[in-house]
Amino acid sequence: MIEIEQLTKQFGDLRAVDDISLAVPAGEFFVILGPNAAGKTTTIKVMAGLMKPTSGSVRICGSDIGTSPIEARRRMAYVPDFPFLYDKLTPAEFFRFTGKLFGMKDATMEAEAEHLAKRFNLGEFLAKPIESLSHGTKQRVAIVSALMHSPEVVVFDEPMVGLDPHHSRVLKDILREQADAGVTVFVSTHQLSVAEEMADRIGIMHQGRLVAVGSHEELQAANRDSTLESIFLSLTDDDA
Amino acid sequence: MNDAKPIPHWRLLAGVNRTQSWRRLKSAVAHSRLHAFLMGLFVLSYTLLAYALFHKALQFTSSFPGLGPVLIERMIFLLFSFLFLLLLLSNVIINFTNLFRNRETHFLLSLPVPHQVVYRWKIFESGILASWAFLLLIAPLVAAYGTTYNAPWHFYFVTPLFVALFVVLPAILGSWAAIGLARWVDRLAFQVAAVLAVIVLIVFVSSWLQPETVTDEMLETRVLDVVDRLLSRTRFSLFPFLPSYWVSSGITQWVEGALMGTFFFGLVLLSHTLFFGYLASTCTGGFFYGALSAVNSRGSGAAAFWKFWRRKPRLGQAAFEPKPLDRWAKRLWWGSADTRSLIVKDIRTFWRDATQWGQSLILLGLLVAYIVNLRHFSHRLTSDFWINLTSYLNLGACALNLATLTTRFVFPQISLEGKRIWIIGMAPLGMRRTLMAKFLFSTAVSMIVTMALVGASCAMLSIPLERILYFTLTVGVMAFTLNALAVGLGAVYPNFREDNPSKIVSGFGGTLCLVLSFLYIIGMLSLMAATSRWAFGGSSAVIFGLGWALFLGGSFLLGWLPLRTGIRKMANLEI
Repeated sequence: MIEIEQLTKQFGDLRAVDDISLAVPAGEFFVILGPNAAGKTTTIKVMAGLMKPTSGSVRICGSDIGTSPIEARRRMAYVPDFPFLYDKLTPAEFFRFTGKLFGMKDATMEAEAEHLAKRFNLGEFLAKPIESLSHGTKQRVAIVSALMHSPEVVVFDEPMVGLDPHHSRVLKDILREQADAGVTVFVSTHQLSVAEEMADRIGIMHQGRLVAVGSHEELQAANRDSTLESIFLSLTDDDA
Repeated sequence: MNDAKPIPHWRLLAGVNRTQSWRRLKSAVAHSRLHAFLMGLFVLSYTLLAYALFHKALQFTSSFPGLGPVLIERMIFLLFSFLFLLLLLSNVIINFTNLFRNRETHFLLSLPVPHQVVYRWKIFESGILASWAFLLLIAPLVAAYGTTYNAPWHFYFVTPLFVALFVVLPAILGSWAAIGLARWVDRLAFQVAAVLAVIVLIVFVSSWLQPETVTDEMLETRVLDVVDRLLSRTRFSLFPFLPSYWVSSGITQWVEGALMGTFFFGLVLLSHTLFFGYLASTCTGGFFYGALSAVNSRGSGAAAFWKFWRRKPRLGQAAFEPKPLDRWAKRLWWGSADTRSLIVKDIRTFWRDATQWGQSLILLGLLVAYIVNLRHFSHRLTSDFWINLTSYLNLGACALNLATLTTRFVFPQISLEGKRIWIIGMAPLGMRRTLMAKFLFSTAVSMIVTMALVGASCAMLSIPLERILYFTLTVGVMAFTLNALAVGLGAVYPNFREDNPSKIVSGFGGTLCLVLSFLYIIGMLSLMAATSRWAFGGSSAVIFGLGWALFLGGSFLLGWLPLRTGIRKMANLEI
C-alpha cells in the first residue's frame, strides 16, 4: 500500500505539493487528476524517491522512501511521463537488464517478459534496437519492463500518452487485473474517462493540494454534479 | 520469485553500457567506413607525429649540458600539474552534467539500485569521458621522454599504471566539487561566482607572470642563478602534496633507475587513490542523492534575486515586454525578425547553461592574461626573428583557442536543438536560414573577439600598423572558416538524441571538426609564415601574394564546402 503523510514539496518560493495526506490500500486502483502544474508529477517523483520531500513522508508497503529507498523501490513499478530506455539495446535485452536489477531469476524473467510482451504485441519488436521503435512502442516497452518483476505497488505518470486505443485498453485491463490481484495501482492522467471507468477512488489535485478524494459516486454526491468533468472543472476553477 | 543470485548492479551497468558503446561504434563504422578509416589514420598520425616532434624537442633540450635535464624534468612536473588541473576542471563539468542532468541517472534512481552504486558508476563514466582525450594527447610526450633517456622496457608498462592511478584522483575530487556546486550553488550564484573567478584568475595570472630582469652580465656569469629565477614561477609544480608531483616523481625516478624512489611514490599514489576511492565508493552516494534532490527541487534563482531586492517578478502581460537582450538584438542584428529571434533564443540558452559558457570564459580568460602580459617582455624582444615568431605564435594560439571554442560550442548547436528541431523545422524560417543565422552570428562574435585579441597582442609587440592589419585580417578569415566548418559539420553529423554537449562533441563529427580545424590552422599558419613578406628571411611580393591567395582560397573552400553540405543535409532532413 501507499501511505502519504503531510507531504509538502517546495521549489524555492513555490509550494508544488502542499500538505497532502493519502492512503491507498492494497488492491485499490487510484487515479489522480489535476490541471497542469497541480503537483501530480511532483508527488509521484517524491513517491518514486527521485526527490526528497520538504516535509512529510511517503511509505511504500511500509518502507519509508526516504529512509529505506531500496526496499521501497524493490516493491514498486514506476513509469515516468517520459521514460528512459537504452537506445542501442533491444527490448529483450532491456527486459533482461531491468529484470536482473530487480534480482529476478532468468526463467521467471523470461516467462513474465514474454507474457507481457505478448499482451502488448511486442513480439515482432523484441529483437529490434529500441532507437528504431515508435514512441508508443517505446512506451509499451517501458511498461512491460516496469511490470515484469510483479510489483506490489504500481505508480504510472500519464501512462496512456502515446498509446493507441488498442494498447490503452490492454494497459487498462492489465492494471485492473493487477489491482484485483491485490496490487496498489496509482495512476496520474488527464483522461477523465480513464478515471471514470477504472478508478476505485479518484483524487483531484489543484495548486498542490488534494482538493477531493473519493469514489466517483462519492465525488458526485459531495459536489452535486453528474459528471466527473463538471466536478473536475468546478474544483479546479481558479476564478471560482 | 525474485530470489536469483544477485548480479552486482555495477556489473550489469558496465555490461549494458559496454553493449551500447560497442553498437554505437559499429554503427558509426557501418555508416561511413571512410570516415572511420580517416579517424583511425588521424589518431595514428597524431601519435606518431607528436612523438617525433616531442622526441626531437627533448633531444635538443637535453643537449644543453647541465641545463637540459633540469628543464626537461621541470617540464614533466609542469605537464602533470597542468594535466591535474585540466582533468579536475573537466571532471567537475562532466560530472555535473552526468550526475544531475542525465536521464539514465534518474532512471536508475527509480529502480532498486543504491544511490552509492549509481554515483560510483557515473563517476567512472565521467572519469573516462573527461580523461581519455588528455591521455591521448600526452601519451606521445611521455613515450618520447622515455626514449630520450633510454628508459628500460618496463618504463612503458609502469607509466600507464601510474597515470591510471593518477586520473582517479581528479575524477573523485571533480565529482565532489560537482556535488558541492549542485547542492549549494544555484544557477545565478554560479554565474556570478564564475565571472568573479575568471576576473580573479586573469588578475592573478597577470601578476604572477611578471617578467624577470636578466642582464647580459648575469647570463654570462651566473647561468644557474638565472635559470633558477626563471624556473621559480614553475615551482608550484614541485609542491609535494600535489598528486601530479607523485606521478611526475615516480616517472622521472624510474627513468633514472631510482626504482626505490619510484616504488615510494607509487605507494603514495596508490594509498591516496585507495583512500579517496574508498571514500567515494562507500560514503558519497548519500551526498549525491541529497544534491540531486536539491537540484530537482531548486526554485528559480531569478526569483530569489528579485526577492532579495524586494521586488516581485513581473507577471502577466509585463512578462512579454522586450527584455534588454531583445532591445540590444534589435539594434545590433540587421537581419529579419525571425533570425533575430533564433539568435536571442541561442544566447539565452547559452547564458542559462553555466557549464557551457563557464568553459569559454576560462579559455578566453587565460588568453587575455597571456596577451596582457606580452607588454612585460615585448621590450626585451630586440631581434626581428623573435618578434616575428611571437606574432605568428600569437596568431596560432588565438586560432587554436578559437578552434576549441567553435568545436565545443558552435558544432553542437544544431544537435542541441534535439527533439525540438521540429520547432524551427516547421517554422517559415527554414533550415537553410537557420543554419546561416547561426553561422553568421557565431562568426561575428568570434571575429570581434579574436580580431581584438590578435590586434591587442600585435600592439603589445609594437609591430608596424600594416602587420597588425595583416594578422588581424588573417585571424578574421580563420574565424570565418572555423565557424563555417563547425556549423557545417554540426549539421552533417547531428545527434538529436543527446542533450549533453560534451557527449555530442566527443562523437565522430565533433572529433572530425576538431581535427580538421587543427590541421587547417597548422597548415595555414605554416603557409603564411613561409610566404611572409618580412619574417623568416622574407619572400618576394609574388610569393607573398600567392601565399595570401592560397590562404584565402583554402580557407573559403574548407569553410564553404562543409557549410553547403550541412545546408543541403538540413534542407532534406526528415524530422
